[in-house]
Amino acid sequence: MNLSQTDLFAAGAAVVAVWMCGLTRVKTQLWGLVLQAALLSSICARLAMAEHYNHLLVLASAMFVIKAVAIPIFLGRSAASMGITSDRGANVHPTVTLIIGCGLLVIGYFLTPHFEVPAMLNPGSAGMSVALLFIGMLLMITRRLAISQVIGFLTMESGISLYSLTQTRGMPLLLEMIIVFEVLIGVLIAGLVIFRINRSFEHIDVTHMRGLHD
Amino acid sequence: MNPFILIAILPLVMVLLGLVPSTARRLPWMSAALMLVQIPVVGWVCYPIFSGRTLYWGVLGMDGIGAAFTIITTIVSAAAMVQAALVMPAERSQGHNITDRRFGMFYTLSGLFMISMYAVPLARHLGVLWIAIEATTLMSAPLINYHHSRDSLEATWKYLLLCSVGIAFALFGTLLIFAAQHNSAGGGTMMISGLIAHAKEMDPRLLRFGFVFCLLGYGTKAGIFPLHNWLPDAHSEAPSTASAMLSGALLNCALVAIWRLSGVVTAAGQAELVRHLLVPAGAITVVAASLMLIRQHDLKRMLAYSSVEHVGLLTLAIGIGSGRVFILHALNHSIVKVAMFLLAGGILHSYGTKALPKLGGLLKTIPVWGVALMAGAFAVAGSPPFGTFISEWLLLRDTFAAGETAAAVSVLLGLTIAFIAITRHIGRVVLGTVRAPVETTPVRSWAIVPSALLIISLISGVALAPPVMRVLTILVQAGGRR
Repeated sequence: MNLSQTDLFAAGAAVVAVWMCGLTRVKTQLWGLVLQAALLSSICARLAMAEHYNHLLVLASAMFVIKAVAIPIFLGRSAASMGITSDRGANVHPTVTLIIGCGLLVIGYFLTPHFEVPAMLNPGSAGMSVALLFIGMLLMITRRLAISQVIGFLTMESGISLYSLTQTRGMPLLLEMIIVFEVLIGVLIAGLVIFRINRSFEHIDVTHMRGLHD
Repeated sequence: MNPFILIAILPLVMVLLGLVPSTARRLPWMSAALMLVQIPVVGWVCYPIFSGRTLYWGVLGMDGIGAAFTIITTIVSAAAMVQAALVMPAERSQGHNITDRRFGMFYTLSGLFMISMYAVPLARHLGVLWIAIEATTLMSAPLINYHHSRDSLEATWKYLLLCSVGIAFALFGTLLIFAAQHNSAGGGTMMISGLIAHAKEMDPRLLRFGFVFCLLGYGTKAGIFPLHNWLPDAHSEAPSTASAMLSGALLNCALVAIWRLSGVVTAAGQAELVRHLLVPAGAITVVAASLMLIRQHDLKRMLAYSSVEHVGLLTLAIGIGSGRVFILHALNHSIVKVAMFLLAGGILHSYGTKALPKLGGLLKTIPVWGVALMAGAFAVAGSPPFGTFISEWLLLRDTFAAGETAAAVSVLLGLTIAFIAITRHIGRVVLGTVRAPVETTPVRSWAIVPSALLIISLISGVALAPPVMRVLTILVQAGGRR
């Protein structure tokens, strides 16, 4: 099989996500996010060079600045200010999550033909983006801290950006930029809510938030 | 002046007023006045649509569905803001520790929330539609957390998280639909009209996947069973004016998105997919919500589950492709549900609780509210003199006509259960014994807005039936579909 560099980068992002499944330290997980975002923005930059789409360079730099720098720094500082270092996982042990993550990666690989757009440059990437989407969901389900759920959500979002970069060409730049900024606003609002949760519950363990039920 | 800018001006003024700290005391009345002026403004903008015309401005456009839901959003927002002017200052003086800044922020965010809700039915572009719906989530999450209590924080977190995941699925679905027609001749477009025009050339497999992902995403936002999990929490913990806007306007927005997408899929010759997904989803939602209505212990949660039930009915209307019933029932449901949430806010204020077992004797303590709440319960449950009855009856008729007998029968069953559950719960609140000391000082004027809404529902049920249906036919034709 002939893999392009883009496909390799996409697979790299998915492998980073699997690696994140087995981590318990929040700080290391944030480094995982940085790696993912860096790989995605280099895919974006590569496409910009190869196809001479200069507007994609703007998107690549925005993605790097927001998703690989601003958001991890914000989340890292929030975690530090709340004295959070690690998330031991809810229900499922991180090692088990890691194994499930590997399984999802394989499933993503086999799903590739269902999601790829025929006659495109990067056939392998479609499955990797679906795998990222699922692994992100897995991260959200299996962690107990609110901040880890945000990390899982961002992994899901990486999968979606990966799909938009590799399978569609010519999504309007403005739209892509707005989406990146909405992710940033969403993370900021989530950070604010987590901060308030920590203040009134004295923890951010969502498995212990069970006040509301029928 | 550009009609689309005109619609946004008054909410924008409200946004700015909320940011000025010194206006906090005058803010409620100023916002109520702004929103009341907004009604004729929106009426004037939407007027040409009623004669079958459509307005376009870049990625925004107003067709029949757009006009109908812009009007519904305006009515809901105006009712909520007028009630907020009556209730929220009293609530603040009652001892909830709410600073001027948070109070102003409530209005700023409400204004932004309204603008984003206006953008949803007016979007002609799938990307803009997605951005608008995501914006409604981001703007309304802090509204739910207005009281900063533990429960409201939990509800906010659940809402933010579930709807963000949902909306991420919808983005993926949108991309799949974009990819589905990307290889076809003429390049890709995300304009809904362009998608419909070139629907036949799309890759059917990716389109199907895209529609399913979008349905999951926007369905979470609309509260289709079993994706409704966030809805009762958010609706019960938000301040009542915000609950009214969430239930009366936000749920409609997500359903409009589903309507638009089902239009694209239908144009691609896959009407069967829409029907096979939406008709069972709607029917199951109605039955599940009606069963959950039985064992409720909280007034606002009960109303939230009733909203889930009506979302099921609206999903069914989209599934059988009946645009008229979709608009009519959305309007009727929004009007009565807003009235009910506003009344519930008043009851929460004077009884100090929204727990159903602790409420009782409303007819003795505050008779006006008691009458209004009972009338509202009948309206929400879809009883004859009210508009909801007409639209539910039309929906059942159309469902039978479409050959979906199983769905129609289960919806009928669900509606019956819901009627019994709602009237029983509300009957105990209105007629039961007074269980706790009640603060009766809150004025009768708090019943003005809900009563006015219920009277509108009554009129739409009794007097206007034939002309209303004529207008709806014009609106749906302006939407380019049956």
